Amino acid sequence: MNLAQLDRRWIFAIIALSVALPLMFPIGLTGEVSPGTRTFHTLIENLGPEDVIIVSFDCEASSWPEIGPVATVLLRHVLERGVKVVGTSFLSEGTALGYDLLATLEAEVGGEYGGDWVYLGFRPQYVATMLALGEDMQSEYPRDYLGQSTGDLPLLQSVKSYRQIRLVISIADDTMPQYWIEYAGARYGVAIAAGLSAVMVTTFTPYLDSGQLKSILAGLKGAAEYEIMRGERGAGLRGMDAQSSAHLAIIILVLVGNIAYFMKRKDT
Amino acid sequence: MRQQIPVAIVATFGFVMLIQYFVPHPFASAAYSKILDWMQIIFAAALILGGVTYAQSHLKKIVQRREGWAYSLLALGALTLMLAAGFWGGIGQGSLFMWLFYNVQAPLQQTVFALLAFFVASAAYRGFRARTFESALLLGVALIVMLGRIPVGEAIGPALPDLAGWIVGVPAVAAKRGILIGIGLGSVAVALRVMLGVERAWLGARK
Repeated sequence: MNLAQLDRRWIFAIIALSVALPLMFPIGLTGEVSPGTRTFHTLIENLGPEDVIIVSFDCEASSWPEIGPVATVLLRHVLERGVKVVGTSFLSEGTALGYDLLATLEAEVGGEYGGDWVYLGFRPQYVATMLALGEDMQSEYPRDYLGQSTGDLPLLQSVKSYRQIRLVISIADDTMPQYWIEYAGARYGVAIAAGLSAVMVTTFTPYLDSGQLKSILAGLKGAAEYEIMRGERGAGLRGMDAQSSAHLAIIILVLVGNIAYFMKRKDT
Repeated sequence: MRQQIPVAIVATFGFVMLIQYFVPHPFASAAYSKILDWMQIIFAAALILGGVTYAQSHLKKIVQRREGWAYSLLALGALTLMLAAGFWGGIGQGSLFMWLFYNVQAPLQQTVFALLAFFVASAAYRGFRARTFESALLLGVALIVMLGRIPVGEAIGPALPDLAGWIVGVPAVAAKRGILIGIGLGSVAVALRVMLGVERAWLGARK
């Protein structure tokens, strides 16, 4: 077999097996909890039933298998602390996924819609909406996701703008937290944190260093670490098995590819 | 006039939004809120325009039987189906629209996205070669970060995750910060050029 010209179907088969087998037969890999994850955990621990936060589902369905575990473990912690949640979304696909997740988790803790949480739904023009939320939440969202008048929702009687919001968490697979930082954080002074896909970490670390972003929880690794801190075994830890074996498979493939390349070069 | 009027509108609203930020007067605040409402309306209209253009483009391809017209037919069919489902049964939880979203659109998007892993692996195997010092450096860094992000890396030794964290948190962030500052300054420059009418490419003008 000429390794330098290995049929790519072999590579596809190796990747498929390296992902599928650990999902079917979990290994139970765990790891150390990073300081960043501890910071996010402390941030949530410092919230209580008197606090209201905004959770914005700024993600697409395509990245939900990665970002979903991040959102799940974070929100479960938030809701168990009794924190009130105002849900929203600036990407249409994230709207339904976010509502579904929030409704499921609120049902777990016995949260009541209208009093413990509300879901404002989707707005297409995120910059204008983020700015308008700092002026008057009800006039920006006269009706919630379910079509109810926001004026009738008890939670929104006391929450008028960012002034009553303790924290904004953007669950994002793209650059949306940057807009939250620029328009809600910089202009209205509201604290911003982000649950991200792993690939976005480098983009947002400068904001973390400058203090414009309070904390980041990123990717399956972040979700897995948070689950370890909370003593849960959820989709994050389950996914880490598959991610670990896929990473190892790619590393081995790259090394084999290089060995084959140097052997061929030596021969010629 | 076709260029002057849009430039005048952009300049007016650009400077109004710029100035109101520093003016705490209620009039400025009211004008600001009104402009934010208008932004929503304009954006919603742009979405409709985008949908119409999308349909027109695919329809043209189908009528002219251009290469790949069958895919256009599929795209238009999907658009029509989702629109019909939305208008007919609404978009609330439990509707046909949501059923299609959860059971067709979301799994399809996730599947297509997941295919990336296969192509990345194949491309890495063929293309990720230590041909030069720079490519060897890139290869080494990539391997360290990949290993450092998984529990196996931690099992090899605590230095590996620390090194991976340092690579992601220091040199990569330094480069990113430079890019962000460049983007910020560039955005300010472009905004000023547009508001002052120097930059007119957005009008379709050549100069």
